[in-house]
Amino acid sequence: MDRTKHRDRTFARFMVGPAVTLLFLVTIGPLLFSLAVSFTNLQFSTPQPMRWVGIDNYSTLLFNDSRFLSAMGRTLVFVLAGVVIQTLLGFFIASLLLKVQRYRAFLLGPILIPSVISSVVAAWQGRMIFNASYGPLNDVLAHIGIKGPAWLALPQTALVSVFLTDTWQWTPFLALIILAALQSQPLELLEAARLDGARGWSMFRRITLPLILPVAGVGVLLRGVDLFKTFDLVYILTQGGPGNSSETLTFLTYLQGFKFFNPSYASAMSFIQLIVITIVAKSYLGLMNKRGAI
Amino acid sequence: MKRAAHLLAAGFGAVVWTSAAVAADLPSFNHVTVTVVGDAGQNMEALNKYADDFTKAGITIKQVGATFTGLYDKLKTSFVAGSSDYDMVIFYPSYIGDFAGNGYLAPLDEYMKKQPAAIWDPKMDEVMPPYREIYCKWEGKTYALPYDGDVLVLYYRKDLFNNPDEKAAFQKKYGRELAPPATWKEWLQVAEFFTRKAGDTLAGQKLSRPFYGAAEYGARGFSYGWFLSRFASSDGIYFDENMNPEINTDAAVAGLQNMVDTLKFSPPDVLSYGYEELKNAFLNGDLAMVVQWSDVGKKTADPQLSKIVGKAGFAVVPGTEANGKVVHKAPMPVGRVLAVSAKSKNKEAAYWVAKYLSLDKSPITVAANWSGQDPYRLSHFTDTSHYKFPDEASVKEYVAAVEENLKNGFPDLNIPGAAQYIDALDVAVIKALSGEADPKTALDGVAEDWKGITQRLGADTQKKFWNAALESYRAAGLLK
Repeated sequence: MDRTKHRDRTFARFMVGPAVTLLFLVTIGPLLFSLAVSFTNLQFSTPQPMRWVGIDNYSTLLFNDSRFLSAMGRTLVFVLAGVVIQTLLGFFIASLLLKVQRYRAFLLGPILIPSVISSVVAAWQGRMIFNASYGPLNDVLAHIGIKGPAWLALPQTALVSVFLTDTWQWTPFLALIILAALQSQPLELLEAARLDGARGWSMFRRITLPLILPVAGVGVLLRGVDLFKTFDLVYILTQGGPGNSSETLTFLTYLQGFKFFNPSYASAMSFIQLIVITIVAKSYLGLMNKRGAI
Repeated sequence: MKRAAHLLAAGFGAVVWTSAAVAADLPSFNHVTVTVVGDAGQNMEALNKYADDFTKAGITIKQVGATFTGLYDKLKTSFVAGSSDYDMVIFYPSYIGDFAGNGYLAPLDEYMKKQPAAIWDPKMDEVMPPYREIYCKWEGKTYALPYDGDVLVLYYRKDLFNNPDEKAAFQKKYGRELAPPATWKEWLQVAEFFTRKAGDTLAGQKLSRPFYGAAEYGARGFSYGWFLSRFASSDGIYFDENMNPEINTDAAVAGLQNMVDTLKFSPPDVLSYGYEELKNAFLNGDLAMVVQWSDVGKKTADPQLSKIVGKAGFAVVPGTEANGKVVHKAPMPVGRVLAVSAKSKNKEAAYWVAKYLSLDKSPITVAANWSGQDPYRLSHFTDTSHYKFPDEASVKEYVAAVEENLKNGFPDLNIPGAAQYIDALDVAVIKALSGEADPKTALDGVAEDWKGITQRLGADTQKKFWNAALESYRAAGLLK
């Protein structure tokens, strides 16, 4: 019996081995290497020898690098605003779609188009829409008597433009997930709640929300992580400008890593981001767990 | 009849001799492939245009294109990895310190001395000094040959500047004659004068849309170049000899303030203006004047691109007056040079391709509309036969303006780490332009950032590199 068990284990290890090795080589290995690099002064601008600097990169980032701290604050606001507004809009769209019976599938197609196009295309489209002189947005605003701002050229509106483009692109994705969650509510439960007199806000808070939370919550989490990593829209729409008013953490990390060739500093930035994302995601999952959503 | 036969024979002989001479100018390689990397599009088009010549020399060219903004990343990644993927590299010379200082490029001095000179000598003595000394050399050795002599030039609407009504109105308002601005102070006056609302009159015509006096490069990337045109003309230099930043002097703050003030006379979305938008605004006829790269001059004459054909004037970038004398400095952002990778297995062939493009074919390339290359040799200013402008006077005016600006050329910072220093400056300039910070605070911030970058990259090494750069500035006549 023991011999059979041993043979089974060996066989299992043999079967899993290549996949684990591959995973180590392409994911865990580089991650560990990157972690090690973040404790060095490795940079490729000058021919300096690499040496260990301990937590210097981390302490500089957290206590002395105002550009990094601004980017961190900006990114967190961007994520929070994105998650809240896109979820509310997604819920609104999903609720409307839920009421439509006959042409729902037909309507879903065009609504989902933004989410299936490439972010690069969405960003280029955004560049045209937000163009202050020739863009259709300001043209529409002018027709209703509003003088539109130079969206991409002002520090007050550049990140808003990135946000609007992201919201336009990804709200349908959340709407689809919330719609699926709404559709999967047990009808008998809703009926029973209605018979018990549940209506409006109390119906939503006590019945609908707990029912859709397990599915919609995952969608919101994915969106939050995605918003945290926003890069392509910033790269194409604003390049982080004007100044660094729309510089997100990922964009700043890209600059450090691939424009300034400071891999040690960029790695430290990446690990701080990883820690922040992990803390936020864990807290969110903990909250969901507390509500019994997962 | 006999005479005609003699003439024919002489003509035939001359043709044979000329062909032989051209043939003698081509070396003979044994089926070598030279891989060239550069920013794709018009800046690599010369490789296609002269492909037959390379084939005759026994060289096959393999092109690898990068995006304009992605070229440095591509090259640096390849160099850091120690790859021998590329033989000849086209790059922006602000990175010469980075690339040559880190040993990524092969010194070219030995190849330049080879005989016969007709094949190997790139005639560097006729290259404009700022390009030759600062952009092609590093620590006294030549690592690159010039290919694209980018320099900023002042463009203005000469039809408007010569309009009698406008001249009279300007004279009445400012008490002096309307002329292309010689100083940055005058630049603001002229910009203010020409800024008009839709419905106003400009040179006797009622405007259907607003018209602006000037515009700046407002997008991220090269705004710093437009600031440098003010900074350098007030005798500004990046650091002192001990590598202390000198970017936040009073004169520098005044220069940035001038740039900020210009925005009052610029299109509302000027902070999103990169090269294309700035060029198009002028070519569309929406601006009275603009400072732009030298290639825009050729584009003003192309009816496919320009609504102001024959109406553009070319001049020296405005300067700053000190002690009764106006000092002009024209920044040289971007530009392109050709170098040979230290890891190349075909260095000699790669060098010859570089030399052929930099010298032999350059008069055609720098004058052509299909290329993005601009003049950088004395001969480019004397032989003007290839330029296509509506009239000879425009050619002369354009060539003279580019030559004068190149003589006053002010280089991009080119020491290792230049990308970081310049990015910090660029961000601060845009912060000032967008009102996020006042010019002094913005430039003080740059000085602090620069100190931090220097410390991170190694203060002693950076000081050594900067002093080497200062030597090249002296050799180019930029410093005494």
